[in-house]
Amino acid sequence: METATHQSDEELLIQGLKSGNEADFRKAVRVYTPGMMAVARYYLDNSTAEEAVQDCWVTVIDAIQNFEGRSGLKTWLHRIVANRSKNHLRKAKREVSADFSETLDPELANRFRPNGRWATPPSLRFDEDAESLMENGALSDCLDQHLATLPETQRSALMLYEAHQHKSNDVCNILDVSASNLRVLLHRARQKIFIMVEKFQETGEC
Amino acid sequence: MLMCRDLARIASDYIDGELGPMDTVSVKMHLLMCGHCRTFIGNLRHSVDLMKAHSSQHVDEELVRRIDERVTESLNARNSDNGKSY
Repeated sequence: METATHQSDEELLIQGLKSGNEADFRKAVRVYTPGMMAVARYYLDNSTAEEAVQDCWVTVIDAIQNFEGRSGLKTWLHRIVANRSKNHLRKAKREVSADFSETLDPELANRFRPNGRWATPPSLRFDEDAESLMENGALSDCLDQHLATLPETQRSALMLYEAHQHKSNDVCNILDVSASNLRVLLHRARQKIFIMVEKFQETGEC
Repeated sequence: MLMCRDLARIASDYIDGELGPMDTVSVKMHLLMCGHCRTFIGNLRHSVDLMKAHSSQHVDEELVRRIDERVTESLNARNSDNGKSY
């Protein structure tokens, strides 16, 4: 039921965009820009990414006429941003560099004995549900702070997969990474967030 | 035999259901015997939920405002061009 409503909402929005309705553009910009920025930031620095996303929206005004709905609107927009960002990279003759080596975060790796058992196991069980925890402003600020320190490649992978709920193969296409490298990026980013949340829960400090 | 450190290395794949059947069985067997790893997996899952709840709230208002302005400008320019052509 929810999916049907969601689909028809998206169809209405697409119709509005095709007819050049300004209110629908405002709605779409608000909903889809965070994900588009996550894509652009994978490839580009922040100010170039912002420019690329702005340019994309201007392109979308005409390009939406050719949107046939073979993918969802979100995936279509993310692919446009990815292509534009890759063009920027090519012009600047730069490449994305990501570390796909060790999958265990060094801080977590230090918590095991040489025999592979826990030396410093997790001491607390996080049992409060995520929605009520997010009402804690300090935790939300701390998450922002730690997300900002993640390498762009890890942060974009995390945002597209978790926050914008793309399927793995969509994320791989948009970010031009193999499935196994995506797994590495996700796991490394999640461990960092896990370590941050654990410290926050234990000490109340970021 | 799967050790705690090995489990930590593949924990994300396990919670996303991306492990092969043999590895999945090894993880489940290990979790039956190891309370620390059960807590670790539970907390890692919880951190992922927290990320989802957090990130869906975040919008850069200043960027959205700038994009709205550019889109409005372009829509107006397009409408006036269309007007001229008739």
